[in-house]
Amino acid sequence: MNAQVGIAGTGAKPGAKPGALRADGFRHIGIIQGDRGVSADPQIMFSTVLGSCVAACLYDPEAKVGGINHFLLGEPQPGQVVDPAAQHRYGVHAMELLINDMLRHGARRDRLRAHLYGGANLHAGMRAIGSDNAAFAVRFLQQDRIPLIVRDLGGNSARRIDFQPALGRSRAKLVRDAVPAAPRRPAPISAPVHAVASGDLDLF
Amino acid sequence: MTRTIMTVDDSPSMRALLRHALAGEGYQVETAEDGVDALERIDDAEPDLVITDINMPRMDGFELIEAVRGHHRWGNLPILVLSTEFSDEKKQRARSAGATGWIVKPFDPVKLSAAVRRVLV
Repeated sequence: MNAQVGIAGTGAKPGAKPGALRADGFRHIGIIQGDRGVSADPQIMFSTVLGSCVAACLYDPEAKVGGINHFLLGEPQPGQVVDPAAQHRYGVHAMELLINDMLRHGARRDRLRAHLYGGANLHAGMRAIGSDNAAFAVRFLQQDRIPLIVRDLGGNSARRIDFQPALGRSRAKLVRDAVPAAPRRPAPISAPVHAVASGDLDLF
Repeated sequence: MTRTIMTVDDSPSMRALLRHALAGEGYQVETAEDGVDALERIDDAEPDLVITDINMPRMDGFELIEAVRGHHRWGNLPILVLSTEFSDEKKQRARSAGATGWIVKPFDPVKLSAAVRRVLV
């Protein structure tokens, strides 16, 4: 049984565990903002609810392993200066963490396929954060030469995404009247994603 | 004299980020996509410093460090690891292989450039 589930949170938190087997035949794992999950278990279903955040579902059809993340480049407060370079670095980092977990589960970078969801602009009149997130994700995949197979981005409704990692199968449902259940804490633009200080030199 | 830094990373996006950050500090930047690519190009690139990722296809960062250390010409070259990994076990492995230091991603451009100045001899 290839029940490998790798969940990595944004800090010391152990991350989500698969729930009980449901009537639909899957153990569901919720992915909140800042989290990611990788699995080759055909009974696992990752689920997440997205507003302006983006989820990238990656799949290696040969290794039959899939992974999903859920990230937001940043949600500046009114009047706060946005540093696009820092946002970009954060996004690249979020994608790299997911890809590295995939590689650890036997995937190969040159076999990866991607589905992208989210990037909605939920509130009229605010800066189009969702569009920025979506544009980043598309650009990243182009630059890293990962084929984009499914692209469901933008609009102004939240989405619920279900992803079967072992089959690379995803589906989205619009969530008309709901703010995403995920916590709307601002993304740590340059804050450490690990318990250890990131960016510091550890001289040997 | 312009100093040359060779960055080794399998992600084109990460290579572009590093190139941007380091070229902005006035360094000549040469990029390689994994350990094999780096070894093939190191004699032409003549770097003053190598900054390498760990998880890469064909030849990973640990193997690259060992190979560079065993190279008659590049045995004393400073090598920094820049990785999402942060376990003591991995760091110890890099230290044994001969790495000069370790930086955990995501990198901060200011801290990265301070680290580079510190190890460039």
